[in-house]
Amino acid sequence: MLDYIRLEVRRTLRDKSFVLFGIGMPVLMYLLFTRIAAGPGGADAEWKVSAMVGMAAYGALGAAIGTGTGVAEDKSLGWLRQLRSTPLSPARVVVGRGLTGSVTVLPAIVSVLLAGGLVNGVRMPVWQWAALIVLLWIGTTPFTLLGLGNGYRLSSQATGLVNTGCLLLLSIVGGLWFPVAAFPDWLRSLAVWTPANRFADLGQSVTHGSAPGVTTVAVLAAWLALFGGYAVYAYRRAARTV
Amino acid sequence: MSRPRSAGGTAAVAFSGVTRSYGAVRAVDGLDLTIGSGETVALLGRNGAGKSTTISMLLGLLPPGSGTVRLFGEEPRAAVRAGRVGAMLQDGKPIPRVTVRELVAFVAATYPRPMRVAEALELAGLGAFADRRVDRLSGGQAQRVRFAVALAGNPGLLVLDEPTAALDVEARRTFWRAMRAYARRGNTLLFSTHYLEEADDNADRIVVIDRGRVTADGSGEEIKRRAGGALVSFELAGAPAGRLPELPGVTAVEVRGDRALLRTADSDATVLALAGLGLVRGLEVAPASLEDAFLLLTAAPADAGGPSPEETV
Repeated sequence: MLDYIRLEVRRTLRDKSFVLFGIGMPVLMYLLFTRIAAGPGGADAEWKVSAMVGMAAYGALGAAIGTGTGVAEDKSLGWLRQLRSTPLSPARVVVGRGLTGSVTVLPAIVSVLLAGGLVNGVRMPVWQWAALIVLLWIGTTPFTLLGLGNGYRLSSQATGLVNTGCLLLLSIVGGLWFPVAAFPDWLRSLAVWTPANRFADLGQSVTHGSAPGVTTVAVLAAWLALFGGYAVYAYRRAARTV
Repeated sequence: MSRPRSAGGTAAVAFSGVTRSYGAVRAVDGLDLTIGSGETVALLGRNGAGKSTTISMLLGLLPPGSGTVRLFGEEPRAAVRAGRVGAMLQDGKPIPRVTVRELVAFVAATYPRPMRVAEALELAGLGAFADRRVDRLSGGQAQRVRFAVALAGNPGLLVLDEPTAALDVEARRTFWRAMRAYARRGNTLLFSTHYLEEADDNADRIVVIDRGRVTADGSGEEIKRRAGGALVSFELAGAPAGRLPELPGVTAVEVRGDRALLRTADSDATVLALAGLGLVRGLEVAPASLEDAFLLLTAAPADAGGPSPEETV
């Protein structure tokens, strides 16, 4: 399975659009929000940190969901069928794909954090940096599963569109682009139940030096169960035809 | 180069009484087929004859509706999991953003006793392209990559579903040369095709399937002989076709529109008999070609009114 993960990670990192949009875009948007759009006085320190977490979360989200787009592509090329005629078990193929997703989120997270530290002078103790990376990393699991579900369930073209739609909707409603504090009341009360909002909250709590709240973990666990169930359902359906 | 039909021990492939339907359509309808170790067998049939469904069941990608499929005595999935099978599936395309070597090495590593990557590349004629990206190859080269992927694990059974469908003549020749080299190492080979000539040139044994059943099984020579020596055709002009199968020499009868086609082992006797009956309008006599043999063995559904070879031979 390690070989499979290595192969898929390689393929993902060779994908120019992934590198450009998956890694470059979040960094660019972060710099835009904190240095240019922040006005003549520049952004305050707190916004530099929270935008950093928000954009790292957005980048991670994109990479995680994007895993499913790759699956749909493999399905349409007949590669999943080909894999099923090798000794590699279907379970290991699915798990391998999921783990690939979790590896490819790392460059997206790390590059935004680097921009925060090097360009915007964000300073935190080492443990906070480390905890931030680990939590954002683990927290992408529900989104990887959502993307995989779409990839197995839908055609290659539809997956690309649906995954992009999911990414934008979840990021914007979840407050990754603009803080939820700027939302109208009704939207704010809705936003706090969405997965991306709680995912970013994992990271925000670390930057405030505290452990993630119980509600945050519970809400994410619920989404994890939901998206996990969807991925299993989608895979079972696809297995009949793949 | 003939091999024993069943080289002792367990058969490489054994279908018994296998059926498979898609809705109301019976794609495979009571298939019985045994392939011994070391044989090179062509599965010959028209599009939609049930070849791909048969191969999907063989690889455990599709469960049979009824009956049993065994590979080396095991369930197909178990045999696949044990690395005894390599496959080149129809319509598969190599995945982008990997090099030829990376892809072949990856697949090889999933098998317990793979061949060396360089060897697989050499056999498939890809030595010069090892470090090229798979998505930057020509159609023929990409097809060779799929062949290399199928044999990378050094499997005892190699299954190829219409392997040359997208190739030009030159690429075809290279491909079959490589395939025969693999077969000579004592491996079992099963490929599907809808070209009788390709089956005849490259297989020891041809299994003709039509409408999901085996309609003929033997060497290329046997198949051609079975198809009869010549083809006599004429206009029926309303005459009944019922007595035609009883005419001297006739082995099969087919009626297409108003024209009757008789396959005959003795065209002189047949023509004389027809003349006696006054059925010589638009008479034509032609030697049976490979294509005729194939058409006869797999009578198209449109002729369903006419007798099928099974009933008349």
